[in-house]
Amino acid sequence: MASKSRHFIELLLVMTEKELKARYKNTFFGFLWIVVNPLLQMLVIGFIFRLFIKEPIENYFLYLFAGLLVWNFFSLSLTKATQSIINERALIKKAKFSRSVIPLSIILSNFIHLILAFILLLVPVFYLGTLSEFWIIEVFLGLALLLTFTIGISLLTASLNVRFRDINFFVQAILILWFYATPIVYSIFVIPRNLIWLWRINPLTSIVQLLQKALANSPPPGLAMLFVNSLIVCLFLFLGIVVFIKESTNFDDWL
Amino acid sequence: MKTQKSKLKIHNSVVKLIGVTKRYTIHHEKPTLVEKFINGRNESFLALRDINFDVKRGEKIGLIGPNGSGKTTLLKLITGITAPTWGTVIVNGRVVSLIDLEAGFHPELTGEQNIFLNGMLLNMDKKEIKSKLKKIIAFANINRFIDAPMYTYSEGMKLRLGFSVISHTKPDILILDENIAIGDQDFREKAYKKITEFVDRGTTVLIASHWLEFIQASCDRVIWLKDGQIEKDGKPSSVIKEYLRK
Repeated sequence: MASKSRHFIELLLVMTEKELKARYKNTFFGFLWIVVNPLLQMLVIGFIFRLFIKEPIENYFLYLFAGLLVWNFFSLSLTKATQSIINERALIKKAKFSRSVIPLSIILSNFIHLILAFILLLVPVFYLGTLSEFWIIEVFLGLALLLTFTIGISLLTASLNVRFRDINFFVQAILILWFYATPIVYSIFVIPRNLIWLWRINPLTSIVQLLQKALANSPPPGLAMLFVNSLIVCLFLFLGIVVFIKESTNFDDWL
Repeated sequence: MKTQKSKLKIHNSVVKLIGVTKRYTIHHEKPTLVEKFINGRNESFLALRDINFDVKRGEKIGLIGPNGSGKTTLLKLITGITAPTWGTVIVNGRVVSLIDLEAGFHPELTGEQNIFLNGMLLNMDKKEIKSKLKKIIAFANINRFIDAPMYTYSEGMKLRLGFSVISHTKPDILILDENIAIGDQDFREKAYKKITEFVDRGTTVLIASHWLEFIQASCDRVIWLKDGQIEKDGKPSSVIKEYLRK
């Protein structure tokens, strides 16, 4: 049992290394692209949205950047992980190994990028002095929830997408809506009280808020929000693992 | 869990199939969610029907039968690539399948990185690969290219490296599907020597092939599959004779 889980981790790390090495091969800026993308988004959105927002958000550019990093990690991981089993069909049809290393290695490689980007972000944050008092706890909790949620939902979509190829299109469609349903460019305080439940069922709300609090010193998520969001994260992780285990024994039949 | 319990029961069997049936859904088109809910049930066919057999340690088994008789499905079930619809497949030991030698390679990684990736997909651990790395590289005969990315390799080099990794995995059960053509004449001889080495070492071998002379020469038991069922199971000479008569 111990050697089995060790082999699983070793394989996961090798696959992650492959993801990291393969992605930026022959690019000049390499890993910097992970920062350039949200940086451009931040500048554009920051400039435009400031024209519309009535109550200005403090440290708006940092607020935006923290949210965009989280969002880009989430949407990129989910998009790629959903298609991953189909993309690696050659491997799945030929060898027996834990299928879950395929989506997990994609998520893990993106997560390493995310952490590097956050470390870079700490430089201006220190300089501007917007770091919150308990930032280590907030960052840790936020990233842990983010990673757990991304793994759960990706395992679910990746395994279902093998049989129902609609899932891939569904994910792409819902991601567009999801961006606006998460307080990345706006603050949760503009949401009317009677609609707040919609944000409660979206786990990204707390995750984004925790990181915005840590880096831009904006208000933290309410306890009720954090609690319900975390519950949903756990639910998705459970569902993802169960469905993936059940479906993965027969991936070969559908590829 | 299943394998542990079975160790007591089946003594020297390394592979045991009990009432194994494999059903495939016929995909006319990939089903969409909507179709699934409207139609409910799908058309299906049985690739294997109620297969029962035992493989003893060290046995060399040849699988024969026309295309579509279920040979590959059977080997996939034993390798663990897919699961049976009904029945149980019990396997004791490391199964390595020589189906596709290049499946685990990534073109952007170097030869050495690919050895690790491919080796681990074949269930070797890192330490084991490290200790065999020099032998694997030497056997594949790609020396200078080992730290070049794989897209610079010729087809022959990729095949050689793939075979070299697999042949250093020390399988308990070796699975060969159809005829394997590996590189040039020189390397093919090396490869067959390696396979014979496995056979002599007491490795259990399962071969699916249409090449009857090869099966007759290298196997001590032949299973003839027909429409997903075992038609005959026995000594190579008698089974092959009967197979040829039909």
